[in-house]
Amino acid sequence: MAAQDFNFLLATDSYKITHYKQYPPNVSKVYSYFECRHKKGAQFNEVVFFGLQYLLKRYIAGCVVTEEKIQEAKVFYQMHFKQKVFDEEGWRKLLERYDGRLPIRIKAVPEGRIIPRGNVLFTVENTDPDFYWLTNYIETMLVQMWYPITVATISREFKKILAKHLKATSGSLEGLEFKLHDFGYRGVSSQESAALGGAAHLVNFCSTDTVAGLLMAQRYYNCPMAGFSIPAAEHSTIISWGRNREKEAYEYLLDQFPTGPMAVVSDSYDIFKACKHIWGDKLKERVMERSEDSMLVIRPDSGDPTETLLGVIKILEECFTCSVNSVGYKVLPSYLRIIQGDGIDLCSVEKILKKLSDEGWSAENVFFGCGSALLQKINRDTLNCAFKCSYVETNGKGMDVYKQPVTDPSKGSKRGRLSLRRNSDGLIETVERGVGKPEEDMLVTVFENGTILQEYSLDEIRKNARLWEEDLSLSQHNQDHPTSLEIHQKHIMNGVH
Amino acid sequence: MFCSCSCGLFKKRYVLFFRAAVPLGSAVTHYKQYPPNTSKVYSYFECRERKTDPTKTRKVKYEKTVFYGLQYILHKYLKGKVVTPEKIQEAKEVYREHFQDDVFNEKGWNYILEKYNGHLPIEIKAVPEGSVIPRGNVLFTVESTDQECYWLTNWVETILVQIWYPITVATNSREQKKILAKYLMQTSGNLEGLEYKLHDFGYRGVSSQETAGIGASAHLVNFKGTDTVAGIGVIKKYYGTKDPVPGFSVPAAEHSTITAWGKDHEKDAFEHIIKQFPSVPVSIVSDSYDIYNACEKIWGEDLRTLVEKRSADAPLVVRPDSGNPLDTVLKVLEILGKKFPLIENSKGYKVLPPYIRVIQGDGVDINTLQEIVEGMKEHRWSIENIAFGSGGALLQKLTRDLLNCSFKCSYVVTNGLGVNVFKDPVADPNKRSKKGRLSLHRTQSGDYVTLEEGKGELEEYGVDLLHTVFLNGKIVKTYTFDEVRDNARLKDSEVEELLH
Repeated sequence: MAAQDFNFLLATDSYKITHYKQYPPNVSKVYSYFECRHKKGAQFNEVVFFGLQYLLKRYIAGCVVTEEKIQEAKVFYQMHFKQKVFDEEGWRKLLERYDGRLPIRIKAVPEGRIIPRGNVLFTVENTDPDFYWLTNYIETMLVQMWYPITVATISREFKKILAKHLKATSGSLEGLEFKLHDFGYRGVSSQESAALGGAAHLVNFCSTDTVAGLLMAQRYYNCPMAGFSIPAAEHSTIISWGRNREKEAYEYLLDQFPTGPMAVVSDSYDIFKACKHIWGDKLKERVMERSEDSMLVIRPDSGDPTETLLGVIKILEECFTCSVNSVGYKVLPSYLRIIQGDGIDLCSVEKILKKLSDEGWSAENVFFGCGSALLQKINRDTLNCAFKCSYVETNGKGMDVYKQPVTDPSKGSKRGRLSLRRNSDGLIETVERGVGKPEEDMLVTVFENGTILQEYSLDEIRKNARLWEEDLSLSQHNQDHPTSLEIHQKHIMNGVH
Repeated sequence: MFCSCSCGLFKKRYVLFFRAAVPLGSAVTHYKQYPPNTSKVYSYFECRERKTDPTKTRKVKYEKTVFYGLQYILHKYLKGKVVTPEKIQEAKEVYREHFQDDVFNEKGWNYILEKYNGHLPIEIKAVPEGSVIPRGNVLFTVESTDQECYWLTNWVETILVQIWYPITVATNSREQKKILAKYLMQTSGNLEGLEYKLHDFGYRGVSSQETAGIGASAHLVNFKGTDTVAGIGVIKKYYGTKDPVPGFSVPAAEHSTITAWGKDHEKDAFEHIIKQFPSVPVSIVSDSYDIYNACEKIWGEDLRTLVEKRSADAPLVVRPDSGNPLDTVLKVLEILGKKFPLIENSKGYKVLPPYIRVIQGDGVDINTLQEIVEGMKEHRWSIENIAFGSGGALLQKLTRDLLNCSFKCSYVVTNGLGVNVFKDPVADPNKRSKKGRLSLHRTQSGDYVTLEEGKGELEEYGVDLLHTVFLNGKIVKTYTFDEVRDNARLKDSEVEELLH
């Protein structure tokens, strides 16, 4: 459950300390929800819901308030605001009445589900009228859901591109889950983010160097080993041999890792010469000795990704015997592959695979490594993630509430109590104003009064997040089926009242 | 190939690994890749310069960086006993599954456990925290201190490279401080309140609780206003200040505390809140329905007397939160300027009366910040009128590529001989790395220079500015947050340079 030294009372935006004094008098319920708002012309139309279970287990479930924590918070906020504003009484009441457990109910979409933008993903409400202020106190922490959702979504968008090209240029999807390797550990902002982002990528793929993600998946999503890696060189293990001994460095590596695949970064000085003269000539026999199970994976790491990759594969074509697969595309011998791990993002991956297939090469030949584009180059605005209050009860009366800024209609929020359902056209939509039928509601109560009521394993999440048939067709993804997309969008914009 | 094994061994591993400086997966195999008889690996960290600029010329150049955040990493992940026999066993099992092979360097880690009681035999030398150093200079070096542990230097690379984040937040935050200082000076004649002009709104927009703490603390190197409480905890625990807290905030509304009153009761909400906080500044978000109506009718008319009664120490701070930032700010100022009596300051710029101010906390990044203050100046509004809040752009919208943060090996000892090593990829001269043992010096003209290939030992350039901060498991030099702030402060000469 929540770590001892983590103080829940200090894990919110400062201004929220002052909100209990700002709600209307006699308010007894504050009900809020989270969505990835829809925005016209948005690049991504659907999201993968993932990460809530981590937050619940790590920070929210069980006893999160103690007398020590109340005291620590009280002293801190006094100095931070230079006045007494902290709601000591309110927190002590919670401690006494609920033993430090949070009287909150959270209903959410099952993890791994793919939901169109503009729909409710989870709702939060207080279950005890005295703790109306708690719903939005917890907003700061819950809005960080933007991160695992966005990583899992981007990772899945990569998967769509890879699947499409793999299917078209090889006839099957074999090995798809190993096509995008997580290289992002060093480029992310903290160990915790590495773990969470790393786990989110593993919803869609099985290859990673971000070990922290494996441990996260293990501890919070019940998966003993969610991802795999292979021995690989880095520049220091090549250049430490000295500039004139690059061949000796490579040869040593081949000796040290005779079985199993191995990746060797080959651009320390000149990637093209390394491919042509070392791999393709001096060490050619050693390379050919290897099998599909112990393949050499050559890694370029500089220059324009598309041009470099094409240059490398052409050199390898000259030096080694390639074959043609069942759908007519060229494949390197099974003991030889390439991994491009520099400058990879959704744009460049599409560009590279298209260029390769234009030149007659199968997507089987390449793997990709992605670092910051996967785990860091994203933010809350990527999917417009927001948490807003939509319903309150004051003096025993319920009222649907919302914001609707004249200066930005896209920032308007939903009204009333919400539910999520699949309508008669098969499309997922949000029902507002509390008129949704409970039996149709896809939202599940996952947390109530300190207890986690529903858990998901990574296995289930992976099943929920798998690609659909239409994701595999060759026309530009996200521009596919304009008609059904337009229908989606109309539904979301108009809402259902 | 989804997980099919069901061993229950793995329960506690997550917590243990967090402390054990888990490396990049393939780094586990590097001990087998260095040349035989390698007895030392020496690496360094820098924010590389971008000499050949491609077609896009960035608006902000980030010529210097603020060095910050190493002490946090040393304390949290590298100091003391980082391995135990249990952790070694568990790591062995995890990596066996992860690689489907036995590649983990169990022997190497047992050696560290037995000889050093689990303390890391490495030495880290670094520039003092808070130092502002031009790009392309060495910022810290790492070397193994035991011949058997040559592989350890780059084992710790992954965790040390994450210093890119606090460095980048602190640097980007300081560049914004320079912009604010320039325009504040130009439009008011002094820098009063500068440290409260950019407030951290980023807690919800970062990727994790840990990131929030690190990032918020980095912003506080330059400023004093924050809502990201986590940053203060990091400073207290890992740096320390002489004052009880390094960051402050004020009561403020959010949309839910306004909308919960109902659309027709926005005035009642405003009135209630402003009365709850009579003697401190209070910020009230005013765009739930119509920011311009709120400014003109509610603040400007219905509640005007309440506003005018407030003191200069307890202003109402009106907060727009949507629309084009510059347009919205200008229009809000214009409306408020019509309803409340303006003052002209000594520099000839308009200032709202002291009981009312504005805070723009939406869409603020270094570029829009520049646009807004420039736009305000053009319309003769003093920067005294405004404060800014920044969230995603301050703490999240940053990557390792912004300052080209990089860790590279530059020197090894093999068969007793020292060799200067480097990479120099033909397709990208920017990616070339430095050679040999490095040191940082100041020339007579005050410029910084990195000496390579051990030349720093010749004493021509005086003392090496890199100090040993970590040695064989112990932190041997620390900096207080006050020292960090002092090292990073805007110098008078810098402000003068900005004004010309």
